Amino acid sequence: MAIHRGKGLATVEYPTGMNQNGDPSQAWIKVKPDGRVDVFSGTADIGNGSKTIQSQIVAETIGVPYDWVTYDNSNTDSSPMCTGTFASRATFVAGNAVLKAARQVRERILAVASRELEIDPADLEVADGAVSVRGTPAKSMGVDEVAGAATFVHGELLTGDGAHLNPGAAIVDPETGEVDRPPHAAISYAACSAAVEVDDETGDVHVLELTHVYDIGRAMNPTLVEGQIEGGAVMGLGFGVLENCYPYYPSAEHRGGDMSTYHVPTMAELPEIRNVLMENPSSGGPYGAKGIGEMANNAQPAAIANAIHDAVGVWVTEFPITPERVLAALDAKREGRGEPRREGRVVAFDEEMSINRFSSTITWGPDVAPPMCALRPAGGPSPASQDPFTGRLNQ
Amino acid sequence: MDLTVNSVARTVQSPPLASLLTVLREELDITSPKAGCESGSCGACTVLIDGEPRRSCLTAVCAVDGAEVTTVEGLGTPEDLSRVQQAFIHHYAAQCGFCTDGLVVAATAYVSAGGSADTAAISDALAGHYCRCTGYVKIIEAVAAVARGDEFDIAATASSANNTYVTIAGAGS
Repeated sequence: MAIHRGKGLATVEYPTGMNQNGDPSQAWIKVKPDGRVDVFSGTADIGNGSKTIQSQIVAETIGVPYDWVTYDNSNTDSSPMCTGTFASRATFVAGNAVLKAARQVRERILAVASRELEIDPADLEVADGAVSVRGTPAKSMGVDEVAGAATFVHGELLTGDGAHLNPGAAIVDPETGEVDRPPHAAISYAACSAAVEVDDETGDVHVLELTHVYDIGRAMNPTLVEGQIEGGAVMGLGFGVLENCYPYYPSAEHRGGDMSTYHVPTMAELPEIRNVLMENPSSGGPYGAKGIGEMANNAQPAAIANAIHDAVGVWVTEFPITPERVLAALDAKREGRGEPRREGRVVAFDEEMSINRFSSTITWGPDVAPPMCALRPAGGPSPASQDPFTGRLNQ
Repeated sequence: MDLTVNSVARTVQSPPLASLLTVLREELDITSPKAGCESGSCGACTVLIDGEPRRSCLTAVCAVDGAEVTTVEGLGTPEDLSRVQQAFIHHYAAQCGFCTDGLVVAATAYVSAGGSADTAAISDALAGHYCRCTGYVKIIEAVAAVARGDEFDIAATASSANNTYVTIAGAGS
């Protein structure tokens, strides 16, 4: 009876936004007579920081200080349509909408400043709230002065609008698996390494450390990105060892009880969390951004399962990895029953069975293309589908 | 029953066994204590009762007759935030904000009692608060910063050119 230590690694790739024309975002911007910028975008900030990020994009693109920008998403009458905050899309899709709107505003600021300064707009630049002549920074006027002139001299409103819609879903060739366009607007990548202690007497798993490396395009606001990673890490820790969202599934009363029986991680379970941000800018995102939101809790459960195998040599193939499941796997190993199997096959790396676990209602055929992830030889037999409850193969 | 809520004397009419949480939110319209689990598990309803952090969902209002109750509104104002409130902003310790009011109240009690900047000590004091968004890391950083006596300039947090909030790193390239 002893404490065993182990380390495990898991990786995740995650698409940004939806890919079927399903999630447009729109934005509009107006500049007040004092040069302050009002952004109207429908994106709900659920704590992910989209108000901050979109204000940063607008400030950066127009060339005004961040605190000149007011972001108004207070109601759906004044703000244009945004599909919502989900699918890791707010920074990329809604960010592109405000980026396009801000570029229009910048053009109009340059046009009015050009008339005021009597200089070609191509020779002007906007930065830090001032329009200046390239190479002659002394000759300049504030964006507030430009906005005042637009209002009171030229009788214009400095405004801009923008919208973004990812291209439709790629069409997959059922024979070759080839796609006719990139299947996603951007894909983020990450790896998570977990260090655990496993008590082989109690089955208790203590996660000591989670180290993450994320390729998220451009980290526009590294503090907010860290917040997403750390929050996701602790949620992933819960999915790995504590939480069973639907303990009685598929019973109609499948939900768990109250917070005294549904355990979520607290500060007491907090492992050491380390983050590395890799910046590999995307071609389509605002300033090279990709999505980070949803992927952040994906890799930890698998990394923890792998670390447990490293520690005590058993695969626990169901989450959460409770002490009972660890002990059952250790018992099975001791009694020579070896690794858990389904339909006589080792489950841990059974790609085909994992893929089809939740796809039993779909029959792949000439009219229905297999999913991109169902890698199989061209012209080969359709993969067998599997009943999600019994585990029985349908073919 | 008479109680002092955020330094103001209040007389409440709710039934004596109504929870303090219900009285604060529904009779006195003080909504910072959140009705999370309403069973004492999540910590979102935490208020100070005579300086001690307590679950207002499990406290009958008759039990605090004559007591002094402090919610997050009583700790500071938007113009004059308390040090813990400043630290939560400076360290980005809030995301959706649902747990934040309870945590700020409990952290205030922790540092007022001379709590240390040690991670284990902070976790021990605040482990009764659930947070689903932050992963706790930045909350612990914020509380540790107050315990260490760090100074914050919140105006600079939001607009300093040195801060990552403002300029998009490498955006010009």
